[in-house]
This record gives sequence, structure tokens and C-alpha cells, in this order.
Amino acid sequence: MAVRPAVEAEGLVRTFGDVIAVDGIDLSVAPGEVFGFLGPNGAGKSTVVRMLTTLLRPTAGTATVGGHDVVSGSAAVRRTIGVALQDAAIDPLMTGHELIRLQSVLHGIPRAVARARGVELLERVGLTAAAGRRVGTYSGGMRRRLDLAMALVHQPEILFLDEPTTGLDPTSRQALWEEVRRLNTEHGTTVFLTTQYLEEADQLADRIAIIDAGKLVREGTPEALKASIGSPTLRIDVQPGSLEAARGVLGPFGPDRPAREGRVAIGLDGGAARVADAVRALDAAGIVVEHLELDAPSLDDVFAEATGRRLEGAVDGS
Amino acid sequence: MTAGPGLVAALRQTGELARRSVMAERRQLLNILPGLVFPLLLAAVYSRQFSRALAMPGFPEVDSFLDFILPACVVQAVSFGATAAGTELALDIENGFFDRLVASPVARFPILVGRLAGAALVAAIKAAVLVAVFLAFGAEVKGGPAAVLVIMMVAALLVLAIGGVGQVLAIRTGSQEAVAATFPLVFVGIFMSSAFFPTALMSGWFRVVAENNPITWVIDPMRRLVIAGWSTGDAIQAMVVPAVVALVTVCLAVRALHRKLGRS
Repeated sequence: MAVRPAVEAEGLVRTFGDVIAVDGIDLSVAPGEVFGFLGPNGAGKSTVVRMLTTLLRPTAGTATVGGHDVVSGSAAVRRTIGVALQDAAIDPLMTGHELIRLQSVLHGIPRAVARARGVELLERVGLTAAAGRRVGTYSGGMRRRLDLAMALVHQPEILFLDEPTTGLDPTSRQALWEEVRRLNTEHGTTVFLTTQYLEEADQLADRIAIIDAGKLVREGTPEALKASIGSPTLRIDVQPGSLEAARGVLGPFGPDRPAREGRVAIGLDGGAARVADAVRALDAAGIVVEHLELDAPSLDDVFAEATGRRLEGAVDGS
Repeated sequence: MTAGPGLVAALRQTGELARRSVMAERRQLLNILPGLVFPLLLAAVYSRQFSRALAMPGFPEVDSFLDFILPACVVQAVSFGATAAGTELALDIENGFFDRLVASPVARFPILVGRLAGAALVAAIKAAVLVAVFLAFGAEVKGGPAAVLVIMMVAALLVLAIGGVGQVLAIRTGSQEAVAATFPLVFVGIFMSSAFFPTALMSGWFRVVAENNPITWVIDPMRRLVIAGWSTGDAIQAMVVPAVVALVTVCLAVRALHRKLGRS
């Protein structure tokens, strides 16, 4: 490929003492792409982001961001990127306006330019009215939006968002998604996004990498990943006593899939057309079906298939 | 990148970060008050209790005990605030604001020095306020306005010196508690100096400790500026000790930061 990747990592490893937080990650993000980095808590998402944003040195492997090496060219990387980190507190004693100003100075932006851009950014994230108030009085959603505005003062080519909507209510989450989409389509900003929300990755990302226990387990577009699962998931609730029997009866209909306690799930070969057959087979075996659902393949299925577990908070067809 | 614009940017960044720490103090004025009031109360109590000590042979020639303890009071008051430069950096590290600074193109130096410079400025202002209160209660600074200026400078330098130690600890531990734990040491250090009593009238091991206590080396020349009159030698001596210590501790802090960022 002729185009230089916006972010590229090869064999990235990070250990903390005996703990291997990131265990040999290769990835490549094209310029202008929204890349979703999906994984449960503690999978190593933030550690990867901290290495890519020069906050942490890799134990092994290399990575470039905007063409600059994260270790030898760390200063150049920092000029190229905008960073909104998970839990990166913003000083509650300062006002939104002051923080934008501070961030501009840190990026060496001339005062006159900084003033105009600050006004524009605060407007864009809907904080114009609150800009003169101390951040201590802001809601969680307002803080995240200010955080995003701060990450944009120097019009970065590449934006890192570490769990930008964790803990936000659905409305604030939607608003932030809108803004990220707009940045990507209008300004061509490359976005590297980590999330533990399947829906967020599905909604925003052009391409997704799933990380679990420090390793990449799947990578591709959401569509391709879902298509790789193939069959839809059939979930059936039966009497607790007949769980094993039901599993036996459904065996021929498709492969077992992870499901929550007290429920049988399989990938139904042949799709919806086979539901009736499956129910009939259960009926013939004298198993009473209490609840049944059929779901098109989701990223959750992709995750479950790759790791054998469901993501916390994912809708397990309940 | 040429040195010129880089340096200008670094200075601007230092200025802006200093502004931030001054603003933080201003917006939490209640946090400053105990640091000012406690030394003043101590001064009020001591000057009543110990006024007869002035008559002791060997006690320096002074008009009142108030003049005698003015420097001690200033040193004590600014030391209260000095550890804050360290604890606030630790707080920044704990809550992630520090990451925000480090992930921006800002140089490492302004991150530390900006905060210290702000704290030093606040200390100089505190010193001026204290001197004004003392003057209102009848104290007299024989060295004149120049001596007051030296007292303010010493206050600022002391904050750099003590704050630098706090920052080293903040960077190494990343914990506010660890930094705050050094405060009693500073406190004891002041009491085991000539702050409240001339070393000439001490005896035994306590005198040895007090005479070799750097705080004594700072307080004695400051006091001579207050009770005896202007002397360039005393002015320099008062400032040299905290300046040298400040230089060392700030360098250590910068080194600790480079190490942390390199290693982690």
C-alpha cells in the first residue's frame, strides 16, 4: 500500500513486572479511518493507547504514529496527535475557557489563533454558555465534551479517544458520537477509539480490532466480522433440569455458543428457516421451551466466538 | 526546531502553568489562611511569653521579641505552603491531569517549574503580608524596604527548595500522602533551628543540631537584616542557601521526571 498508515504497531509488548499487559500486538490504521479497539476491562486497551500516545514505553516491539516512532520520535508524535484519555481529570478549579487556553499554550499556538479557535471549539461541543464556569460544576457529559474540545485545539491529524463515553447517559453518548463522526467526515481526522461497548464500536468504527488478555483476537470491518460468524444465534430457555437434554437435542443444528447460565445457545446452521425444526425436535424429546430468540450475528457473538466469553454489559438476548 | 522559538514557547508554557497554580491558590483562599494564621498566633504568644528573654545575657540586641521572630514566622508560614507544590503535582499524577500535560508537546521542564514558580510567587506575597502585619503591630525592619524584598526572595526560594523535594517524591511515588508525610520533617527542622531562640543561648546536642541546620543559616542573616540593619553580605547569605538547595532539588525533580517517563 502506498499510503503511509496513520498508526502502525508491530509486535507491541508491555509488561508490568510479571504481568504481561500487552502481548505482541500488530495493527495498522489507515489515514482517515475510524478504528475501534474493543475489549473488556483490563484487556490492555488503555496500555496500548498509552504506548501509542508516548505516555508509556513499549517493553518490546515498535509503533509509529503519523509516521513517527513513538520512542525515538515521541516529541513529533505528541505534536501530531490529540488525546482524550479515560479518567484524565480536568482541573475542577479552572473554567472551560481557561483549560482550552492552557491547552493552546501547551501546544504553542499563537494567542490570537488560540482565542478564535477556542471560541469555535467550545461552540462546536455546545459549551459556549458554560465556558466561564468552573469545570467542577460540569456534568460528566460536559466534561467529556470539553475533553474532546481540548484534544482538538491544535487540529490534530490523529485523535486518540480512550473510552470516550464510559459512564455517560445515552443522550450524551449519542452527542459525542455525532461529534466524532463529524470530525472524521468533515476534517478527515483519523480516530483511534477504545471502547468496551459493542454498540459504540459498531456505530462508529470503520474497522474493529478485538483485544482480549493482551492479544488481538479478531480484526476487520464490523460487517466482515459479523459475516464471519455466519449463522444467527438461537437462544433457548428451558426448565433447569432439561438443560443438558436440550443441548443434546440441539447439537445437530449447529455449534454451541457461549450463553448465560440456564440457557442454551447455538449458531443455527441454515438460519431462520430451521427454527421450526429445532423447536419440533425439542418438543419430540419432551422438552418445554420457555423462551426463544433468534439474533442476527452481532459483534458480541464475534467477541464470544473469539474468547469464549460475553462482554460485560452486552445484551445476552435477555 | 531552533532554540529561540522553543525557548519562548517553553517560557510561555511555564508562565501559563505558574498562572494555573496561582489561580488554584487564589480560588482556595481558605486553604491558605491556616498557614498564615498559625505562625501569627505563635508569634503573638511567643512575644508575650518570651519578652523577658530579651534581657538574658547573650541575647541579640533587639527592640522587641516581635522583631526577633519575624523571619522565623515567615519561614514557617511559607513552609506550610511549600509542600503543596509537591502534593498538587502528586494530585495531578493521581487524577491524570499530568498525563494530559505529558501527552502534549510541552517540554518537561515547564511542567515542574511552572507549578513551583507559581508557588514561589504566592510565597513572596505571603511573606509581604506577614511583614505588613508585623509592622502594624509595631515591629520594625531596620534593613528597610530592601530587607523586606530579601525576605520575600528567601520565601520564594525556600518554596522552590522544599517544593522541589516534594516534587521528587510526587514523581517517584505518585501519591499525595507520601508527599504530605514530609511536612512534619520541615516543621521539626524549623523548631530545631535558631528560629525561636538564638543558638548562642542553647547548649548540648540541641545546639549542635541547630548550628548545623541549614534553616539556621537562612534565618540568622535574615534576622540581622531585620534587627540590625542592611548588609549586602547578610542579604546574599540569606538567599544563597535556599537558592543552592532549590537548584539541586529542582534538578533532581527534572531528572526524576525524565527517568519516570523513560522507564515507564
